[in-house]
Amino acid sequence: MTDWCMVIDLEKCVACQGCSIACRMENNTPVVSPEEAKNGRAIRWNDVFPLPVHFGPDQGEYPNVKMHYSTRPCMHCKNAPCVKVCPVQATFVDEEGIVRQNYDRCIGCRFCTVACPYGVRYFNWSEPQWEETLAEYRNPDQLSVNGSLEGPAVRPVGVVEKCTYCVHRLEKARARAAAEGREFRADEYVPACVQTCTGKARFFGDLDDPDSTVSQLSKSLRATHLLEDSGAHPKTLYLAEG
Amino acid sequence: MTKPLSRRDFLKVGGVAAGSAAALGALKNVMSAKADAVIKTAAEEKVVASTCHLCSAGCGILVRVADGKAVKLEGNPMHPVNQGALCPKGQAAPELLYNPDRLTSPMKRDRATGQLTQIQWAEAIQLTADKLNALREAGHPEQAVLMHGDTRGQMRSFLTRFMEAVGSPNVVSHESLNIAAAKLGMYLTQGIYGLPAYDLENANYVISFGANLLEAGPNPQRTISGYTFLRRGRATRGKVVVVDPRQSITASKADEWIPIIPGTDAALALGMANVIIKSGLVDADFVKNYCFGFDNFASDGERKGFRDFVLENYDPIRVEQMTGIPSTTIARLAGEFAGNGPAIAIMPGKGGLLNGGFSGVYTAMAVHMLNALVGSIESTGGVMTQRYMPCVDYPRLPSDSVAAKGMKTIRIDGAGSKFPLGRNSYQSVADQILEGASVEALFLYDANPAFETPGGKRFADAFKKVPFVVSFSSFMDESAELADLILPEPTFLERWGDDHIEGLGYPGISLYQPVIEPLYDTMNTGDFFLKVAEAMGGTVAKAFAWKSYEEVLQFRLKDIGADWELLKELGVWFNPGYRFAKRGSQHWIENVVGAERLNAPRDGYFDLYSRELNCFLGEMKKDELAKLGISQSGDGAILPHYEPTVFQGDEAQYPFMLNIITLMSLGPRSDAANMPSLQEISGMTVRETWDSWLEMNPESARKLGLVENDRVKIESPFGAISSKVKLVAGLHPDVVNMPLNQGHTAVGRYAKGRGVNGLEILNPASEPLTGLAACTNTRANVSK
Repeated sequence: MTDWCMVIDLEKCVACQGCSIACRMENNTPVVSPEEAKNGRAIRWNDVFPLPVHFGPDQGEYPNVKMHYSTRPCMHCKNAPCVKVCPVQATFVDEEGIVRQNYDRCIGCRFCTVACPYGVRYFNWSEPQWEETLAEYRNPDQLSVNGSLEGPAVRPVGVVEKCTYCVHRLEKARARAAAEGREFRADEYVPACVQTCTGKARFFGDLDDPDSTVSQLSKSLRATHLLEDSGAHPKTLYLAEG
Repeated sequence: MTKPLSRRDFLKVGGVAAGSAAALGALKNVMSAKADAVIKTAAEEKVVASTCHLCSAGCGILVRVADGKAVKLEGNPMHPVNQGALCPKGQAAPELLYNPDRLTSPMKRDRATGQLTQIQWAEAIQLTADKLNALREAGHPEQAVLMHGDTRGQMRSFLTRFMEAVGSPNVVSHESLNIAAAKLGMYLTQGIYGLPAYDLENANYVISFGANLLEAGPNPQRTISGYTFLRRGRATRGKVVVVDPRQSITASKADEWIPIIPGTDAALALGMANVIIKSGLVDADFVKNYCFGFDNFASDGERKGFRDFVLENYDPIRVEQMTGIPSTTIARLAGEFAGNGPAIAIMPGKGGLLNGGFSGVYTAMAVHMLNALVGSIESTGGVMTQRYMPCVDYPRLPSDSVAAKGMKTIRIDGAGSKFPLGRNSYQSVADQILEGASVEALFLYDANPAFETPGGKRFADAFKKVPFVVSFSSFMDESAELADLILPEPTFLERWGDDHIEGLGYPGISLYQPVIEPLYDTMNTGDFFLKVAEAMGGTVAKAFAWKSYEEVLQFRLKDIGADWELLKELGVWFNPGYRFAKRGSQHWIENVVGAERLNAPRDGYFDLYSRELNCFLGEMKKDELAKLGISQSGDGAILPHYEPTVFQGDEAQYPFMLNIITLMSLGPRSDAANMPSLQEISGMTVRETWDSWLEMNPESARKLGLVENDRVKIESPFGAISSKVKLVAGLHPDVVNMPLNQGHTAVGRYAKGRGVNGLEILNPASEPLTGLAACTNTRANVSK
């Protein structure tokens, strides 16, 4: 069975934040007000940030300092804590290993945002807004699954949203293959952040296929998971610097 | 007999039950990806290839147009600069196109009341044509001035031709604010006025002197592509060393960061040269046969060559005192550089600490000479010379005595006269006007000098003395607010244009085309000037026989090897594969070394003793040189050397050196500051958003009793501003940084009032020899 997975080479990542904005444009995540952003309520499904996150003396003293940067999409955990705590089964792991969100079912309790060890679940604290003409550029793609809108469809206030590995792109690629009357291949689709990556640091594919690039990279000695001890069995892989 | 359940067993059973319930729940939560999934896209979808214009890289883009709306940009995989990738600025470009603060029609301002009235394009064209004709009739066409920003394709030659046809030599590029120091460093050594390209893919060792390769160089995406390939894209990995007082993202990603005392990079480069020469690691063939001035030579008496000068003055022990870098490190870097070729030393471009001031040019020269010493000029894994697509020559301008007379006048910005070595002096245009130079018409193309120059507010006073100021900005930026005519250009996604591809050495053209119909009543500035030429009549009209700017492009790009339809389809055309010139060959002499020298011989020699510079400084006495801020005399002034920075502001009163850094997110262009997503991510490195900040070393802050986010007053001899402190451990204790492109007072709702503009309190002076903005020598005081 296909098991979609992303691999991020932190040595090739140059912290340009192209992925953050590619994700925004692809998935219609709204810009929040500057005040909300300052309160940490910005919605960027894929964020880039300095490490350590909290500044302190442990960073060393000039000139014996080494800054690090990391980038973080959803880990699409195999034992996803967010799925476990959801009281209404709004979030689920699909059969191809993508942790998805049913916005119709979500009641906005935010249990999942607390349960997620990675902080990659974002709550819509206010009505998403695109001021005046800015609404024109929103991605018109609509993915509906069993009658519920997923993918880039604009989320209402009061629900939680998250990285979907651009699942609508997957379905678009599938539909294209079907329209052309041929078998869908796993290398026909990548999420927007992978496509735009300036350092070519991101790889995407089927972890279940031993010949795929991601499978090969998962065997690298540099391959590691974020917070491996969280118990969530995170899937998104990092290749450590060094 | 059943044993009664102990409490522990009970918990076990309960655990199993709870576990299976969870498992069931999980099972229920598994849904098929395929089951009942319906995907709908727009009714009409197309992809248009074009070029991004949000920084000087000019990446190829593929724009997804859904039902007539540009909804998403992707990198063009065919484009050699970005190879399918796109940075946050390019990704956010739809926010520029559909920005609610765009100007929607031409406007005229009443100077007395400041009132804006909407006008028709015909009126704007007639007003401009009348103004220029009046200047020509008065015999002073040179009083028309055009200031422009990043204009890399045919637009530059087109605008220059227009001004020439009118009769004005005054086309002023903004390069004196940033890359001109590096271009001059290249010119005075290699004899080519332009930025070199670096063969990063094949290099083994790269040392960057303050060039922010991964954030804000002249071509960040090109250097990112090259850098990541060098690090992890090939079998053997190259080493990257970054010299910078601040641990930028580039420095933090490098193998080694060399923190240095600001402004002393020349000393480090020469210290490395010292070790390379002393250890006999120079490329003897190159230095002996293709360099001028390595050994002492005779010309009007004995002259000192590069070798003796460097050996006498730049022993690593002395360099350690100048730069704060241990002599052992200097020796090791030199050994690594010369012993692990191919090696490249990269001059600072944008974002370095060395721009401006003649010491910046010496530094660029010294750094580029490192490449020469190890023979990395025009060789695999070394420095390449940028080639350009051949464009069809414009027809000869019709002969015109008025224009000829105007073209003979000295340039308004003093380039070539007041600033003998300068090619452009953007920021000094304001000074010249305020000092009485008469400018009757001023065009601002892709230019916002009132914001982007040090002490830019003086442009407001200067503009008051110019009766006719025209802005072509798509937004009401700080300069457009002062203009009489505001003639908005469509954004880059709605207009025709092109770029010469730079950074890879080989030639290429990248095309801009309208991906959607222009949203508003805007006009491509190229089309505007064609219409003005027509309205002016006479020789100017004759010089511009084209109907549209698109036709101009078609005419100029006829011979690049792709027809117009193919170019439109692909968005890019290039001749891949850089052909290295053989040392000393015809090709070498014509294209690579010395070809663009104006005074010194174009003989194919790389100058370690700059004969070109000698033409300017050779005759000068010590006191004359001192006036130019050059402490050495004789051969010492010609040879690259470390010139201690002459700071503005007393060290006791102003203990910090203030530096303005360019960010990957906001970039250099004013309109990008009005893109909300870029504002949101702008302060990533310091955990800030929608604001400016002051970066400070934590120890320096502690001494002043400051903690993170304290509001402070930042005071220089040129003014005071206030911002919040951010602690940055990887920063020299005597340096403070502020981000570029925040603190707008105009442009739009997202840009306006976001923090402060640090450029306001930088030294507004121009360097006397080159006209470069000499702003990196400003000291500041920080107080609560």
